[in-house]
Amino acid sequence: MKLSRREFTVGALLAAGTMGLPIMVKAQGTKTVALLFDSLVSPFWVSGIEIMREKAKANGWETLENISDFDDNKQFEQVKAMIGRKVDGILIIQTDSKAVIPAIRAANEAGIPMVHFNRPPAESDAYSVAIQADNRKIMADTVQFLVDEAKKMGGKYKACLLIGDLGDVNAIQRRDGFFDVVDKNADMIEVVARVSTEWNADKAFAGLTNALQANPDINFLVTSSDFMHPQIEQVLQTAGKWHKRGEEGHVLFAGFDGDEGAYARLKDGYLDACGVQNLFLEVDMAFQAFIDMWAGKKPEKLLLDPGFVITQANLTEKQDEMWGYTVWKKQNG
Amino acid sequence: MTSTDVTAVSKPRAQAGWKRLLLSEYLVLVLTVFYFAVMWTIVPEIATADTLLDILRAMMPLLVVAIGQTFVLIVAGIDLSAPSIIAMASVVGASVLTGDGGYANGTGFEIIAGILAFIAVGAVIGTFNGLCTTRFNMPSFIVTLTTMMFFSGAAIWYTTVHTDASSIGNLPRGFIGIGQGTFFGGLPFSLFVVLVVGGAAHFILSRTVYGRWLYAVGLNPRAAAVSGVPVRRVIFWAFVISGVCAAIASILYTGRLETGTPVLGQRILLDVIGAAVIGGVSLFGGKGKILWTIFGVLFLTVIDKSLQLMGLPIASVFAIKGSIILAAAVIDAVRHRVLVRG
Repeated sequence: MKLSRREFTVGALLAAGTMGLPIMVKAQGTKTVALLFDSLVSPFWVSGIEIMREKAKANGWETLENISDFDDNKQFEQVKAMIGRKVDGILIIQTDSKAVIPAIRAANEAGIPMVHFNRPPAESDAYSVAIQADNRKIMADTVQFLVDEAKKMGGKYKACLLIGDLGDVNAIQRRDGFFDVVDKNADMIEVVARVSTEWNADKAFAGLTNALQANPDINFLVTSSDFMHPQIEQVLQTAGKWHKRGEEGHVLFAGFDGDEGAYARLKDGYLDACGVQNLFLEVDMAFQAFIDMWAGKKPEKLLLDPGFVITQANLTEKQDEMWGYTVWKKQNG
Repeated sequence: MTSTDVTAVSKPRAQAGWKRLLLSEYLVLVLTVFYFAVMWTIVPEIATADTLLDILRAMMPLLVVAIGQTFVLIVAGIDLSAPSIIAMASVVGASVLTGDGGYANGTGFEIIAGILAFIAVGAVIGTFNGLCTTRFNMPSFIVTLTTMMFFSGAAIWYTTVHTDASSIGNLPRGFIGIGQGTFFGGLPFSLFVVLVVGGAAHFILSRTVYGRWLYAVGLNPRAAAVSGVPVRRVIFWAFVISGVCAAIASILYTGRLETGTPVLGQRILLDVIGAAVIGGVSLFGGKGKILWTIFGVLFLTVIDKSLQLMGLPIASVFAIKGSIILAAAVIDAVRHRVLVRG
């Protein structure tokens, strides 16, 4: 049988339409949540989106995804597109806390609940809910553990802090949490280096190298994010300071986030403590906020994940709550 | 007449029709309509009035930058600095406008002063690009690559000097209206801006001596110089126009987001050049129309919007977008072959 071009075109369009039907039918009668990320460049976000997909599926929800690649304007377009799709909720990780405000307003106008994950927006008249780790407290607890260890061992300590991008409220809160504890122990700990990394691993490497050249006796090190661990390890190895706990010359070392590298270094004894953002709990809190808003409730604008400090003492007990352990388990069978 | 005779007559006619379509300057528009029709069956929301208005709104700033880029492409140059002009103009303009201690805050002239600051940044960087390209005979690729890198960094530095945060907010409502406002029952105000810029650009290219000089320089600068065309001046002004267009786009983006940010527009370079080239503007110079650029921008914006609506994982988005642009490029290559063969 020969087909004319016109018959073929009409057939192709009908076929495409038929393929689309299941998508439309599937979308009916269930909740659809948009997951709008600005990037998937670190294990934290990759794990985050995987946990969200799994938990949404467990709730019987559909998910739609968009990545803005750090483009605020594109993310605004994506929010508008999701409003066009009439989703039931928008979970967003914005790049800029101010530039996201028009997107919140647009979601408010459309009556679609919006939840910010990990980064709250700037103050505005628009309503949305933000889930954020209690960075300052988690960092303070983590550094307190390190200080207690230092007290047990005695002596004086020269400290170095790797700071994140100070345009990011998370980085500021973690820095403040560090100084909340260190300032109280100034007789024992002197902060000799503050390395501004701007969340850039190369800058962390260069900054820490310079800091160690200027202060070779640094023996107390805290990083504002675990993704910089490989660079830290490299620099400390080069300086002959990469030793396990209990070994001569061990640098007291703490991290923040709770990624798979942190788990591995804790397990191997190189890392003393890590402030963990409880990603599983944060996703639960975000989804609960949607459920509450769908029920007509108005949750607080900022909900805090208390997080926890993981050390070798509680590693076995707490590892299942550490998202990095899940990643590590997958990578290591 | 037998059925065989009918087929014999209709086949060349159909072939001629396809050839006419392939060579038509409306080909990209036809492809856009076809793509839109297919997408309509998959995501019906793409055809709602709200989404169509969103597509129009999304097109506007990108179109203004692409119009500026068209001038530079016609003279066989390239302006890679457009994204950094957008970023630099955004933070400089916002630092003048902002209610949080802006330079013009409380003067009553905030908006005019802010807009002038935006335009001045575009004009200055465009002038620098034009001077380096024409006075020192440097390739525009290198000049604008350097300015892109320099001003991307300068925008971040400028922001850190003016605020503790990563962006500058609290802009006046009157300014925000340029990016967000509507007129005539929902049409974006930015459409008005684009109509003025696009109309002026079309007029310059099609009705003025300068427009004819641009094409002459793009086709063969030596022949143009021999014919008395001030080649250096023509190229210089193309870069200034491109810089000013990027600054106008920055006004629209900044107004839309209510924020001056140093990373504004950092990811749009490929869309800007891609839109112009897909529309039919030649990378080798001497060929281009504003209408073609509009079609290219529309094509890319519709693709973007459809993929956003589908909400697919990022790997699928890149694969689909890449395939569609590749298909458009292949069609364009076939078109050129047919054109060359006659």
